[in-house]
Amino acid sequence: METLFLFIATVAALLSVVATYLAIRARDMLSAVIFSAVQSTAYAIMFYIFMAPDIVLVYIPVSVGVLPAVTILLIKRTERYER
Amino acid sequence: MSDPTSLMFTTIFICLTVNIGMSLYGIFVRPSLVKKFIALTIFSDTLNCFAIALGFRRVVGSYPSIAVLAALPESPEQLSQLASTAVDPLPQALVLTAVVIGLAVYMFLAGLILMYYRYYKTTHVEVARGGRVG
Amino acid sequence: MRTREVVIAVSVAAMVVLLAYAIEVGGLGPIAPQRIRDLAATYLINTYNPWNITLSSLSLEAVTAIVWDYRGIDTFFETSVLFVAIVGVTSLLRGFREKTGLSSAGLSEIVKTSTKVLAPLILVAGVAIALHGHLTPGGGFQGGSFIAVLFILLSVTFSLDYAISYGISSRKLLALRSGGLIGILVTSLALLIASLILGVNSYIFQNMAREGAPLSMPSWFLDRPTGGTLIWFNTFEALAVAAGISLAFLVLSLREEEVEEALGQVEWYE
Repeated sequence: METLFLFIATVAALLSVVATYLAIRARDMLSAVIFSAVQSTAYAIMFYIFMAPDIVLVYIPVSVGVLPAVTILLIKRTERYER
Repeated sequence: MSDPTSLMFTTIFICLTVNIGMSLYGIFVRPSLVKKFIALTIFSDTLNCFAIALGFRRVVGSYPSIAVLAALPESPEQLSQLASTAVDPLPQALVLTAVVIGLAVYMFLAGLILMYYRYYKTTHVEVARGGRVG
Repeated sequence: MRTREVVIAVSVAAMVVLLAYAIEVGGLGPIAPQRIRDLAATYLINTYNPWNITLSSLSLEAVTAIVWDYRGIDTFFETSVLFVAIVGVTSLLRGFREKTGLSSAGLSEIVKTSTKVLAPLILVAGVAIALHGHLTPGGGFQGGSFIAVLFILLSVTFSLDYAISYGISSRKLLALRSGGLIGILVTSLALLIASLILGVNSYIFQNMAREGAPLSMPSWFLDRPTGGTLIWFNTFEALAVAAGISLAFLVLSLREEEVEEALGQVEWYE
């Protein structure tokens, strides 16, 4: 039980490392936002495994919903590609 | 280290530390303000995850429960039984407010970046050092 | 320029290695201990403890009890920070006016129909999470975020004109936001005012009876526990968070034409 849950958390942590790397490396801001949302999803899984349902309920709307929306709005107003 | 559970904990914490390093690199080096914004959100999320992971505990023979009573308690023994199986609720309460306050502050930062773009016609951070452009 | 980036990368990598080493070798104590801290055990035992009511908050959920009862003043000032940040966004992007008739029709019919199915579910989930914050995981912050996501979804799918034509404006949202904060303030002072009338002692942010302060908020509604002040705090906080984040999104999504029209021919950048 404990081993299975922690294995899922470990996989989510490794996924978050990959997503963060791609988000920092990407020249295209829009794909950086998408990778950042993937990283947030991995963190939500980790919060669930660490038995924090309150944080999951506030983290999914904020970090997967509102923040990418605000960032995409910002990219639409400014410039998409990094020089 | 031979225990698989502690090996997995080690992997999780090293992954979080690597995330902190990469997001700090993004904040310091990448010239675009929007990229710095994204890296800053990743950085704060990672620190919140650290705080939650520090509140985790292990229970012998089973998995820890959430810090919620399932039903109205009928005797004081149920309360001490909750205290012997539940995770630490204090980091969760601190992170809960930090996430929402962080969202409002990020929206303020987004407004600042928008004004920067209207003034300098770019989000490149080096432009501001050379004075007014265009 | 290249050397500067390399130096930063090497120093960040060294920080990562040292931090990981410090954590793993035991600088922070054992990861995931079997024994919980004494403070956390105190919170867990006294969260719903009818046998020791002077330390209890009569809430089944420990996180909401800590957020709004044990550390209530902390949360009140954090709500104030939220309010100040929203005020900062609105004053930074001033010149905003609700103007309909601009060219935006929203997304396609398929997306609109599925959003119509989904929207009531999100609203009900948000309200339920907010109102049951003292019984199940959830609370005012969570429910408010859900409702703010609903507003953003509607304004993206049906276009902003649709939301404005239904009477949503930045002034109304700001009034709702301020109303939520005033509600939190009134709830935190309710027992103080009652005790001034009755002539007994009381504390700010008092929920249940404490030593030397015998008044408590009503903790039962019919056959359901309400957690005293917690249900009121959660309701007002959900209102405040939902209106505040919706207002910030509304102001951030303003269109350039509106700014130019509001500013007229004034040379703005000078």
